[in-house]
Amino acid sequence: MQTAQDRAIATESEPPPDGGRAAALFKFVVTRPSIREAGATVVVVLILLAAMQIASWYVPDYIMPSPEAVSGAIWRLAHTDYFHVLATLGRLAAALSFSLVAGVLLGLVMALSPLLRPFVRSLVVIDTGIPALSWILLAVFWFKNPEKRIFFILVMILIPFYALSIYDGFRALPKDLVDMIESFRPSQWQTLRYLIVPHLVPYVILTTKSVIGYATRMVIFAELVASAIGVGSRMGLAQSTFHMDEVLAWTFFLVVLNIVLQLLVTAIEKAALGWRQEAAVR
Amino acid sequence: MNMLAKSFDAVATAPVISLRGVRKKFGGHLVVDNLSFNVGRGEIVTLLGRTGAGKTTVLNIIMGTMRADAGAVSVAGADPYGEFKSLKGKLAVAFQTDRLLPWRTAVENAELGLLILGIDRKIARAKAIECLASVNLAGSEHKRPHELSGGMRQRVSLARALAVDPELILLDESFSQLDHVTSRSLRADFCKVARQFGKTCLIVTHRIDDALEMADRVIVLGPGARIMLEMPLAEARLNEQTREQCRAQIETALGGHNEDDNN
Ligand SMILES: Nc1ncnc2c1ncn2[C@@H]1O[C@H](COP(=O)(O)OP(=O)(O)O)[C@@H](O)[C@H]1O
Ligand SMILES: [Mg+2]
Repeated sequence: MQTAQDRAIATESEPPPDGGRAAALFKFVVTRPSIREAGATVVVVLILLAAMQIASWYVPDYIMPSPEAVSGAIWRLAHTDYFHVLATLGRLAAALSFSLVAGVLLGLVMALSPLLRPFVRSLVVIDTGIPALSWILLAVFWFKNPEKRIFFILVMILIPFYALSIYDGFRALPKDLVDMIESFRPSQWQTLRYLIVPHLVPYVILTTKSVIGYATRMVIFAELVASAIGVGSRMGLAQSTFHMDEVLAWTFFLVVLNIVLQLLVTAIEKAALGWRQEAAVR
Repeated sequence: MNMLAKSFDAVATAPVISLRGVRKKFGGHLVVDNLSFNVGRGEIVTLLGRTGAGKTTVLNIIMGTMRADAGAVSVAGADPYGEFKSLKGKLAVAFQTDRLLPWRTAVENAELGLLILGIDRKIARAKAIECLASVNLAGSEHKRPHELSGGMRQRVSLARALAVDPELILLDESFSQLDHVTSRSLRADFCKVARQFGKTCLIVTHRIDDALEMADRVIVLGPGARIMLEMPLAEARLNEQTREQCRAQIETALGGHNEDDNN
């Protein structure tokens, strides 16, 4: 079977002699970055699986289970533990959306009020200096309800990212465009709606893109410490009961989740920021 | 005598722009020194001067985004700085660069002023499409700025100014960044529309050709925005010989060698 691209390559130069076809295909694969990267990923995954398989022959299961055992655990957990996955995703979504809204509002306060700016700014800067671990430990003492604990931890970690990014975005507002819209004598609300908000949308999306992986790790971590429900707490339970196959099954799930979330945000970015030529090309 | 007659004339038809003894200082530097002139209704006037003469400063004062240190400024019967909001919908500006919003399509950019005026979306859209067509952009309504050439983007920005149907249109070097061929066709298209609707225009430029091809009258500004020459150009637009005479006069008023295009 000859694909369209194969044919395109074949017609580009002389019809390749015997063996030349394989060379042409090889050249095609190694010169396409996306195919090359996907291929490399497959190779790395196969090597990791092989290493797991070999290691599992020499050490007990609670240190390194075989890939087969892990896939069995994935299958099992998919049937019994999906509720925990939903809980984790729900917590992530709630905390992320709240942080987005609160962070954007704080960023706007910083940008629009010279009076409050230094206070909000110091608050945000101090917050970024507080380690996630401190929030986790504090939350355990401050709140009884696990949902409150996890929400609090995530929100305290995520808000400053949005606030600072919005503030930066506001300062990057082109003076030219501000003067242009001012020449029509708009109300403040109209300036916000037609200029400021659309200008800030990329900052919100790109911040989400950069924090979403971190936020996922933090929700797992917070669940491990602060809750009996959720992926993090299930991983803790599996580890303390020597179910290494389940720990690895969850790990596999988290890797896939991370990829899916990145693809999701990238799709949103493409749809919402198509006007940014560079973003579309990237 | 002539001057007096002209100013009576202007009073009779109520000038759209009137500057009396306007001064503006930046630091210790007097950028606008005692400038007075009128622009009558339906008139197209060019403010011509070298880079640094203070043209943009004068324009900012007329737009009301900058306050004059001294003197009286009246635009469409209002003080553009003190009564900023009262000029809503009465004036529109096209700048040297297109200043389009990159996330809005051509037609969405062209209708911006209308939406700010609170005009119904459907009516605004129809009007914007009409204005894009009037500057020869029919068919490109749904392209985004980055898909348009520099000349086309500048056309959108002119359509955006025309769309609000203002009493006064201000242009600040709107044709200066384009090559000669593009800027000539853009000037012609703009003038056709402006004259058709009897728009009052004040066109700031450092290019003599902009004045000779578009203006009813030119005001040549020297350093400190001092008026070096003021003369009618209606004749020059039609008659090649008069045009070259006017060009020579303007070049002399600008002083010495004319480095036309190094802006
Ligand atoms: N906001 C400002 N602050 C200080 N100096 C200014 C400002 N705007 C303009 N100037 C100065 O005023 C002079 C005239 O500037 P401008 O009005 O932009 O001239 P033109 O538009 O004729 O080139 C220049 O010397 C410029 O440096
Ligand atoms: Mg200027």
